[in-house]
Amino acid sequence: MTFDVFLILNSIPTMIEGLGITLKLLFLSTVIGLALAVVTLLMRLSGHWLLTWPAMFYIYIFRGTPILVQIFIIYHGLPQFEFIREGVLWPLLREPFGCCVVALSLNAGAYVSEILRGGVLGVDRGLHEAGKALGLSTPHRFIYITTPIAVRLAIPAYSNDFISMLKATALASTVTLMDMTGVARTIVAKTFAPYEIFIAAAIVYLCFTWTFQRGFGLLERYMSRYVKKDA
Amino acid sequence: MSVIYGWLDEYFWGATVVLKVFGVSLVMAVLFGLIGSAAKLSGNRIAGILAGGYTVVFRGTPELLVILIIYFGSAITLTTVSQAFDPDIQFIDIPPFWAGALAIALVVGAYMTETFRGAFLGVDYGQIEAARALGISNFKTFIYVRMPQMWRLALPNFGNHMLSLMKDTALISVIGLEEIVFVAEIATTVTVKPFTMYAVVAVIYLAITTVLTLAVAGMEKYANRHLETSR
Amino acid sequence: MGEEARVPIIVLEKVCKFFGQFQALKDIDLVVNKGERVVVCGPSGSGKSTMIRCINRLEEHNNGRIVVNGHELTGNLRDVNAVRREVGMVFQSFNLFPHLRVVDNLMLAQKLVRNRGKAEARERAMHLLERVKIPEQAGKWPSQLSGGQQQRVAIARALCMDPAIMLFDEPTSALDPEMISEVLDVMIDLAQEGMTMVVVTHEMGFARSVADAVVFMDAGEIVESNPPAEFFQNPRNERTRLFLSQILSH
Repeated sequence: MTFDVFLILNSIPTMIEGLGITLKLLFLSTVIGLALAVVTLLMRLSGHWLLTWPAMFYIYIFRGTPILVQIFIIYHGLPQFEFIREGVLWPLLREPFGCCVVALSLNAGAYVSEILRGGVLGVDRGLHEAGKALGLSTPHRFIYITTPIAVRLAIPAYSNDFISMLKATALASTVTLMDMTGVARTIVAKTFAPYEIFIAAAIVYLCFTWTFQRGFGLLERYMSRYVKKDA
Repeated sequence: MSVIYGWLDEYFWGATVVLKVFGVSLVMAVLFGLIGSAAKLSGNRIAGILAGGYTVVFRGTPELLVILIIYFGSAITLTTVSQAFDPDIQFIDIPPFWAGALAIALVVGAYMTETFRGAFLGVDYGQIEAARALGISNFKTFIYVRMPQMWRLALPNFGNHMLSLMKDTALISVIGLEEIVFVAEIATTVTVKPFTMYAVVAVIYLAITTVLTLAVAGMEKYANRHLETSR
Repeated sequence: MGEEARVPIIVLEKVCKFFGQFQALKDIDLVVNKGERVVVCGPSGSGKSTMIRCINRLEEHNNGRIVVNGHELTGNLRDVNAVRREVGMVFQSFNLFPHLRVVDNLMLAQKLVRNRGKAEARERAMHLLERVKIPEQAGKWPSQLSGGQQQRVAIARALCMDPAIMLFDEPTSALDPEMISEVLDVMIDLAQEGMTMVVVTHEMGFARSVADAVVFMDAGEIVESNPPAEFFQNPRNERTRLFLSQILSH
């Protein structure tokens, strides 16, 4: 067995071609997922069963099943129905890229809404009371007191979820998308040098996870600048 | 709906495979987590660096990629090694079951390393001093004083890692393990009812994760029983 | 104040409060006149915190009437907000907003509730920080301050809203002993300027020197209410005597 370091170095530029799709998937599903998460969170906090139950059901379904299965249901499964194939969403759901964005966004929405809820519940009750005692209205308390503190509390968990999302984009290769993992699998099929090629891909992923982790670390430090260090 | 009945046997066997992978993988992941966290806390520089590298690599690489590397990589290695002894051997690969179980155990073990480390550090330092004052050796302190207290702190995260592990088992279908996603693929080619077939997979996963969630909740209640106040 | 007629500003009539089966307040009657300083004391669990938290409706009472500065506290949100604008509150655990610098803690409600401009709010904030003698801390985070300093910021934050009444819920209980006097000094200054104050505290020295009335509560009831001289010299009720002997014995 030979281990060809040059093959690793040579394959990295090819791998970068798949990077575009990986990052596009990550960006779109993060943004859409965050929007879904906020809506779901507000539904859960509303306290009205007509809003909380659907939100909880949505979270339950998407946290309880593998993302791979979600992608397969949306990509392979939905075309089983006539009304999907003739519906307005068909141009989106016909493409593997659209399906992956839908699946990853829905998944992120469910997870992130729970993370944000954890942040909101972590805000000290005394601060609500102080806000009330000063006569701040409920929306004002939510915007100026709860939100900034909840966001700070949620960042570590959110950063983990963001990294999970990056890793989940690799599943797009299972529905023929040429993301980074997809490109790597194609090269391996040609060269049959799995160690070199897959490790090259792993190195590129690691660079990104490391960078994102650093970024979130800095963000967290900035958001926590008012917290006592030794506490 | 009746199309499902013809496939119930296959789904059932697929589900037992899922549970077997899960069991084997969980044992390995806990071992990796304990070894990793002990290495990180040992104060030994080399052990610390190795454990640090382990967690960075396996938390930062997509699970799918890790599975592909272990499966195809081990096949190449095994074939080369055995051809050195007997040139007539054509090709050897390790079964997808073991490759997949090892791969997801490595990933989840990396997460558990961090969880266990945090939990060990969460145990009051006075406990260690008290054990020391009684003349208990470091190793025995680790086993009898720190471990039992650490479990309680690690449980919530540990539960989440178990759920991830369970959902990661779906990925092993990509390297040909005959579990439920694989069954759904075959069933789809025969029945042309992809949504129905993958929905069954989702329901099975949902059922298993629900049971797991309830089990973890029960364990947490048990672990915290000494904290319940008498009123 | 002058020699105006005594104007009741806080009136509690037959106020009851339940937490589930547990009755925390039993038929509380209390009148506080404008400019009066009332100290409330009693053993823990006696309902004293619950009572003053009812006055700005952090707790809702179940029965009876509470009228504060002409507004009756009912479910009506407009009245609740009107009362909260006019009543300042200081908590045992400070409850400063940790994500805002000291001066921003003082400015937030001024901007949002009083609709003051930034410059005006800042000027008012700095004025009050000077009054509690820590203007130099304006740019710091609350976590960088000592407990006594944090509580003085909390008092200044409440005063920024120009309240007619100040409520203090055990303002010195969470402080180290050496920091208690700096907070009490600020409160004494406030009392001398004629602020209407209701103070839940065990600082009997403070009660003796500034209170117009001392109220003793036990098991959800007001047991005794008298001017401090009378209260400390001739406690009438057995429970009051027992409490005073415990708290003054050391």
